[in-house]
Amino acid sequence: MRSVILIIFIIIIFSTLLYSQEESHKDTILFQVQWFPQSQFAGYIMAYEKGFYKDEGINVKLIFSDGSNSPIDELLKGNIDFCTAWLSQTITSKAEGRKLVNICQVLQKSSLMLIAKKSSNIFKPEDINGKRIGLWKGDFTIQPNAFIKKYDIKCETVQQSYNIHGFLANAWDVESAMYYNEYHKIILAGINEDELVTFFFSDYDLNFPEDGIYCTEDTYYSRTELCRKIFQASIKGWEYAFNFPEETLDKVMQYCDEFHMQTNRSHQKWMLNVIESSIKYKTGDSLQDWGKLKKEDYEKVGEILKNQEFIKNIPPFEDFFKEFQYEE
Amino acid sequence: MKNKKIKRPILWKLVLVIGIPLFVIYSVILVVNYFQYKDSYLDQMKEYLKELTSHNAADLNSQFIQIAEQPKSIATMLGTLKKPDVKELYSLISKTVESNPSIYGITVAFEPYSFNKKIELFSPYIYKDNDKILQVDLAENYNYLHSDWYLIPELLNDFYWTEPYFDEGGGNIFMCTYSFPIRKDGKFMGIVTADISLEDLKSRMKNIKILAGYTFIISRYGTYIYHPNEKDIMRETIFSKAEMYDFPAMRKFGRDMISGKKGVESFDDPITNSKQWLVYSPISSTEWTFAAIVPEKEILEKVNEMVIHQLSIMIIGLCVIILVIIWAAYKITNPIRKLAGLAEQLATGDLTVQMTNIKGRDEIHELAMVFNKMVIDLKHYIHDMTEATKAREAVESELRIARNIQESLLPRVFPPFPDRKEFNLYAKIIPAKEVAGDFYDFFFLDDNQLALIIADVSGKGVSAGLFMAVTRTLIKTVCQKDVSPSEVLRKANYILCQDNDACMFTTLFLAIYNVKSGKVSYANAGHNYPVILSQNGEWRMLDSFNNTALGIIEDQKYKVGETTINIDDCFVLYTDGVTEATSPEKELYGEERFIKKLIKNLSLPVDGIINKINEDLAEFQQGTQFDDITLMILRRNI
Repeated sequence: MRSVILIIFIIIIFSTLLYSQEESHKDTILFQVQWFPQSQFAGYIMAYEKGFYKDEGINVKLIFSDGSNSPIDELLKGNIDFCTAWLSQTITSKAEGRKLVNICQVLQKSSLMLIAKKSSNIFKPEDINGKRIGLWKGDFTIQPNAFIKKYDIKCETVQQSYNIHGFLANAWDVESAMYYNEYHKIILAGINEDELVTFFFSDYDLNFPEDGIYCTEDTYYSRTELCRKIFQASIKGWEYAFNFPEETLDKVMQYCDEFHMQTNRSHQKWMLNVIESSIKYKTGDSLQDWGKLKKEDYEKVGEILKNQEFIKNIPPFEDFFKEFQYEE
Repeated sequence: MKNKKIKRPILWKLVLVIGIPLFVIYSVILVVNYFQYKDSYLDQMKEYLKELTSHNAADLNSQFIQIAEQPKSIATMLGTLKKPDVKELYSLISKTVESNPSIYGITVAFEPYSFNKKIELFSPYIYKDNDKILQVDLAENYNYLHSDWYLIPELLNDFYWTEPYFDEGGGNIFMCTYSFPIRKDGKFMGIVTADISLEDLKSRMKNIKILAGYTFIISRYGTYIYHPNEKDIMRETIFSKAEMYDFPAMRKFGRDMISGKKGVESFDDPITNSKQWLVYSPISSTEWTFAAIVPEKEILEKVNEMVIHQLSIMIIGLCVIILVIIWAAYKITNPIRKLAGLAEQLATGDLTVQMTNIKGRDEIHELAMVFNKMVIDLKHYIHDMTEATKAREAVESELRIARNIQESLLPRVFPPFPDRKEFNLYAKIIPAKEVAGDFYDFFFLDDNQLALIIADVSGKGVSAGLFMAVTRTLIKTVCQKDVSPSEVLRKANYILCQDNDACMFTTLFLAIYNVKSGKVSYANAGHNYPVILSQNGEWRMLDSFNNTALGIIEDQKYKVGETTINIDDCFVLYTDGVTEATSPEKELYGEERFIKKLIKNLSLPVDGIINKINEDLAEFQQGTQFDDITLMILRRNI
C-alpha cells in the first residue's frame, strides 16, 4: 500500500515538473526587431543581456529580421508576441483594420533623410529637380514622396539597394539614408561632412517618429501586465545602454559578429549616439517621459498618410497607443 | 738585451702617430656620413617602397584588366547577336570561366523579358567550386535587378567594379564583381559580369612582402578588401579605423589613397603606439589602393645596418692598417734590436759577432753591413794595436835600459867632490822623454882645473841619447890639461862631423874653471849663455864668443872667452829646456823670469836653487814638458 502511495506521489511530482516545463516553454515571449542586430536595438539587447526581462519575471527571446518578412505580419499571424515597427507602417496597418497597439514609442525623431553631394550641385530641395533620386521600398518612401510633393520636385526615382555604393558611384544623385546608418557609412567611405548636403525630414515638418514596440490588441487586453513588463524592461535596457556605451557596444558587436554583419564598432557607436538623441528628443534624461507617443506626432503622420492616400481614416489615437508608466 | 723593457718602442710610436689620427679621421667621417646620408637614405627608402608598392599594384592591375576583358568581349559579342541560344550562351560562359583561372564565375544577366519574351529574369551563372564548374540561373535565387553589380552599371551605363560582398544565392563566397553593360542597338540589354574570389586575392596577397610590414588593399571607398587581420575585411574602412582611434591624419591619408594618389607617409600609429610608414599606390582599373604599413623601426634598422656595415668596414680597415704598422715596425725594429744585442755583445769584447740573415736593400741593411764592417775593422785595429803595443813595450824597455846607461854616464853623486871646499856644485836633468838629449859633465883636469860641460843634442830619445854619449865621451877624451876649450870643441866638432849621416848636432858650453883663482876660460858651441850672479843680485850673461853647434861645420873654429867668478857668485849653466819652457797658454818661460827666480833664491844652497827653479818650471808648464830641462850651478866659496 505504501509503495502504491509512493509511486503515485512520484508520478504526481514528475507530471508537475513536466507541466511546469511545458508552461515555461509556452511562456517564452518572442520579441522581433525589424532588422539585423545593430545599435538601433541596443536597448533590447542590453535588457536581455543584463537580465532586465528576467527581473520582470518574463522569458524574452530576441528575434532579428533579415528584411525578408515584416515583423508586423509575423505579429498579426501570431508567430511572435512583440515587435518593433515604424509608426507610419503601423498606422497604415491599424487603418486597414489590423488589431495592433503601440505600447512604447521608442524613437521620437525621424532619422530618415536625403543626402546629396555638393559636387552634384544640390544645395536646396529645388535643386533636386531633374536629378536621379534613390528610394527604398515601402514606408521608407512615404516621407521622401511627401517631400517631393511638397517642393514639387520633378525627378527620376530609382529603387536603391540597402547600401551606399550606387550613391557613391554617382549612379544616383540623391540617396535615401538613415542618419544613424547610411549617412555615417558615407562618412566612413571617405566623404567629408562638408562635402555633403543633408535634408532631414524632421526639419521639413515631416518628422515621423520611427521605432515603437507593438503587440496585438489581444495580447494587450489579455496580458496587460506582460506588456508593462516589456515596456519597463526595454526602457531600463535603453537607459543602461546609454549609461554604459562601451559595454553595450561590446555586446552589439558580439551580436553583429554572430550574424556575420559587415559592420564596425565606429559605426555602431555613431548609431548608438543618434538613437540616444532620438529617444531623448524633447524629453532629455527623464525616463518617465521616454516611450510616449505624442498625439500631435501621431496626428501629423496620420495626416500625411491620409494625404498620400495610404489610409482613408486616421484610427483613434486612444485605440492605437496604450501608455505605460516607467517605474523607478 | 732582449729582456730589457723599452719604455717607448717604435712600434707604439707608429701606432700612436698613424693609428690614432686615422681612427679619429675615420670616426669623424663616419659621424658626418651618418647624418649626411641618413636623410638621403630615408628618401631612398621612400622611393624604394613607392616603387615596390607601385610594382605590386601594377601587377594586380594587369590581372584585373585581364579579368575585365572577358565580360567586355562577351557583352560586345552578345550585342551583335540577333538571338543568343541558351546552350551556346552556357558554353561560351563555361569556356571563358575555365580558361581564366583568375575568374571565379561569370554571369550574363538580362533585362526583364529581353532574352526571352516569356521569361522575365534570366541570368545564367557559371562558377568554380573546388575545381568543378557549376551552373545556376541567378534569377531562380534572387531578383538581381537591384543588386549593385546590375543596377549601378545599368544606371551609370558603364562598367563597374563592385565593392566586396557575399554573393548569397550565387557563388556563395566573398567576391568582387566586374560588370559590363550589354547594349544592342544602343538599348540596354543586361549585364555581363566576372567575379574574383576574395579568397584567391587573399592567398595572392599573402605572398607579397613589403619589408617586414604588412600589406592591404582598400576599395575606392576605403573598405578593406584585403587585410592580414581577416576581421577587418569588408567590415572596417580606413576611415572607420581613423574614427575608432580618433586619428584624423589617417582619414586624410585615406582620402589621398582613394583619390588615386601615390604616396609615402610616416605617422604615429595609435594602435601599436609606434612610428609607422604608410606607402600606397593605386590599382587604377578597380580604383582600389594597394598599400603597406612598414614599421619605421625596421627602416631605421636598415639605415643603422648600413652604418654598422660601413663601421665594420672601417674598423676592419683600421685593424688591417694597424697590423701593417705593427708588421712594418717589427720588420724595422727587429734587426735594430738584433743589432743592439750584437753591439752589447761586442762591447763585452766578443769580436766574432756578425749580423746575419739580412734581407732587403734598405737603410737597416746598410746599417748592418756597416756594423759588420766595423766589427771586422775593429778586429784588425785591435790586432794592429796589440802588435804596436808589443813593439812599443819592447822599445820602452830598451829605452829604460838606455836611460839607465845614460844616467850612469852622468855624475849623479852630489856633492861630487866633498873634500873640495872651494866651490859647491849641483846639476840636474829632467828629461822630457825617457832618454834625454841634454847632458852635463864636470871633472878635474888637474888639481885646480875643473871642466864644466853642458850640452843639448838635437832631437830626443835614443838617437839623441847615443849622440850625447858619443859627444860626452869625445869631449872627455879631448878635454885634457893645457888644451884650450876652443881646441877641445874644434877637435870634437871635427870628429863628430865625420860620418854624421843622421845630421845630428849638439850645442855645448865648455868652461874650465880654476878653483883657486876663480878664473874661467870657456868656449860656446851654439849653447845658451850661462849667467853669473852675485850675492847682491847683480848678474851678467856670458854672451860673447859664441860659435855654431857641434856636428854641423867640419872645420869650425871656436873662440875662447875668459871671465872670473867672484867669491859667493853663482855660475849658472842651463839648456834651452829652461828658457823655452812653455805654459799651456803658449807663454814662454823666458830668461827674465828665469833670472828673477835665480836672484830670488840666491840665498839657498845650489841644490835648493835648482830645485826651486824646477818646481817653478813644473808649475809653469803644468805637465806639458816638451824638452829636457838641465840646470847646473857652481858657487865659488873661497
